Amino acid sequence: MARIELQNIAKNYGPVEVMRDINLEIEDGEFIVLVGPSGCGKSTLLRMIAGLEPITEGEFRVDGRRMNEVQPRDRDMAMVFQSYALYPHMDVARNMGFSLEIRKAPSQERADKVRDAAKTLGLTSLTARLPKALSGGQRQRVAMGRAIVRDPSAFLFDEPLSNLDAALRVEMRLEIARLHQRLETTMIYVTHDQVEALTLADRIVVLNAGKIQQVGTPLDLYERPANRFVAQFIGSPTMNILEVEPTDKGVLLKDGTVIGISPGAERPVACDLGVRPEHLNIVPQGSAHFSGKAELVEHLGSDTNIHAHVPSIGQVLVRQHGHFPLKTGDPVHIALELDKVHLFAPDGQRLDTVLGSG
Amino acid sequence: MTARKITAPGIPRARPSFYLRYMVEPYVYLSPALVLIALVMLVPLVIGISYAFQSVNLLRPIETGWTGFDNFRTLWSDRKFWLALTNTFWWTAGSITFQFFLGLGLALLLNTSFHGKRLVQALVFLPWAVPTFLSALTWAWLFNPTIGPLPHWLAALGILPEPFNILGDPNLAMWGPITANVWFGIPFFAITLLAALQSIPGELYEAAEIDGASAWQMFTKITLPFLAPMIAITVMLRTIWIANFADLIFVMTGGGPANSTQILSTYIFTTAFRKLDFGYASAIAVALLGLLLVYAAVLLVLRRKLVKI
Ligand SMILES: Nc1ncnc2c1ncn2[C@@H]1O[C@H](COP(=O)(O)OP(=O)(O)OP(=O)(O)O)[C@@H](O)[C@H]1O
Ligand SMILES: [Mg+2]
Repeated sequence: MARIELQNIAKNYGPVEVMRDINLEIEDGEFIVLVGPSGCGKSTLLRMIAGLEPITEGEFRVDGRRMNEVQPRDRDMAMVFQSYALYPHMDVARNMGFSLEIRKAPSQERADKVRDAAKTLGLTSLTARLPKALSGGQRQRVAMGRAIVRDPSAFLFDEPLSNLDAALRVEMRLEIARLHQRLETTMIYVTHDQVEALTLADRIVVLNAGKIQQVGTPLDLYERPANRFVAQFIGSPTMNILEVEPTDKGVLLKDGTVIGISPGAERPVACDLGVRPEHLNIVPQGSAHFSGKAELVEHLGSDTNIHAHVPSIGQVLVRQHGHFPLKTGDPVHIALELDKVHLFAPDGQRLDTVLGSG
Repeated sequence: MTARKITAPGIPRARPSFYLRYMVEPYVYLSPALVLIALVMLVPLVIGISYAFQSVNLLRPIETGWTGFDNFRTLWSDRKFWLALTNTFWWTAGSITFQFFLGLGLALLLNTSFHGKRLVQALVFLPWAVPTFLSALTWAWLFNPTIGPLPHWLAALGILPEPFNILGDPNLAMWGPITANVWFGIPFFAITLLAALQSIPGELYEAAEIDGASAWQMFTKITLPFLAPMIAITVMLRTIWIANFADLIFVMTGGGPANSTQILSTYIFTTAFRKLDFGYASAIAVALLGLLLVYAAVLLVLRRKLVKI
């Protein structure tokens, strides 16, 4: 059980600054997911929390107590490493039970816990093997097992499912959700998988280039992204960004279409308009905002992705539910769902101007 | 030899009639190496061993001839042989123990990061570069109370009652060459163990730290298992080498006083080149060879049992 606070955390490797201004408060029992592009500092942040990497600046507290200088072994956190870091000279069972062995837990308790973990992870038949005789995904599950046999104050997971096949990943995701429900332990979880992030998280932290972009519930990030980076990072396929010019009445699209703002709203200073593919609709010509030509139509069964080229606006991706009878080269007329449109200032920050039919 | 059809890749060349030819062919290519090895290694070895069953004494050239196990029977009742064997044991065990533990300690120190590490690393390996005879002489002088400081220091520390030359004391003399040998042999263990230490992935220690291991637990549960193969092989090689290593003793004490530092290899040397009794010297050498073979076999079996990686 732990309430984790990060205050003005910064991290330098020599002259290289990799993280700065990290402020985050994690409630006891919360499930936090860290997402961000490769190299943005997710593992570094996790390693600072675990105590493996010294914190250059700022304060890290657990339950109100400063922990910057506390040794990793006294922090009582379990971690799954991105690179697994299994002990090559110990078999699977001993790898998983190593923390218990260190704690000199009774051998019966150790065996029971290892057996349960192995069962949860589908490793029962492999417990006597050495790590070198396992596949990548099996090793990853052993790494997972090493964490879950413990009862730590917080779990740190660094992409723990990245190497599993789709079906196993779904299964393991459920196991992690179940584990969290059962133990109610604070969890910090790094992933590149949007579905994992959106389904597991109480709150998601979006990082980019060593800075926190936004912290919020999955729905928050989806519906009210704080800036253009978050808007494009969360959601798949990626949000369309259209260049616009602000006018007195609303915003002017490149092809001359004017989209008005709600009556009473102030004049926007927007320079970018963001709209998710699922918030664009193919409509009859009369009610469309703009028109173009379908360049590529992807039929996914549940959805149809239409990559359209709109003269003087550019590429636009439209997503329609179900099977949409459209062929490459067909003309398409596209309408925006105005209440789902986001506006971004020139510096990328979100603007709260509401568009309407005014 | 008859002309043969040129064969394409994938078509088997060896027809049954050519079978013998293809059995022999590899050995033809190997033969230069085999002949060389036989000439420089096997022939001297066999001749040396055969001396052990002959009477080859340059002082009594007429009595040359095969004598069966006579040399070994003499050996069995030779008090000096058993003394030399005991001394060899203490010499080897003492040297290897201190060399190993101090070398391991040094390697662990060098594996941490500190200021001026490269310089220290270079200095540490210096004893290895000093010729043995030079270091033997230097150590002999260091132990000499008239010119060396060591006896005075030992006396000041209360280890010796008064500053005398331990090389002249039958009970203590062995410690002289052992000390020199330890000084001389530490770099070997430090180098090899440091190389092994540096090959241990750092993330294992991180994982162990997260798992709650103390420094000592990390050492016993991660470092040692990783070092074990290297330890087994270096200890084996060094043991054999030290058991045969006569230079230091020969220069520092010459086997004395009263044979108290006589080890098998110095005994072999004096028997062969002072008494010129090559037959008997060979018999001692064969006995030493047998003991070392047994030792190596035991260590290899142990290694197979203990080492998992
Ligand atoms: N020892 C180091 N010295 C200098 N820079 C480092 C060091 N370790 C990491 N970095 C840099 O810190 C940044 C963050 O690295 P980190 O491993 O945290 O990325 P990540 O977000 O986990 O990426 P990924 O998703 O690929 O795992 C990277 O740009 C990396 O190059
Ligand atoms: Mg990472």
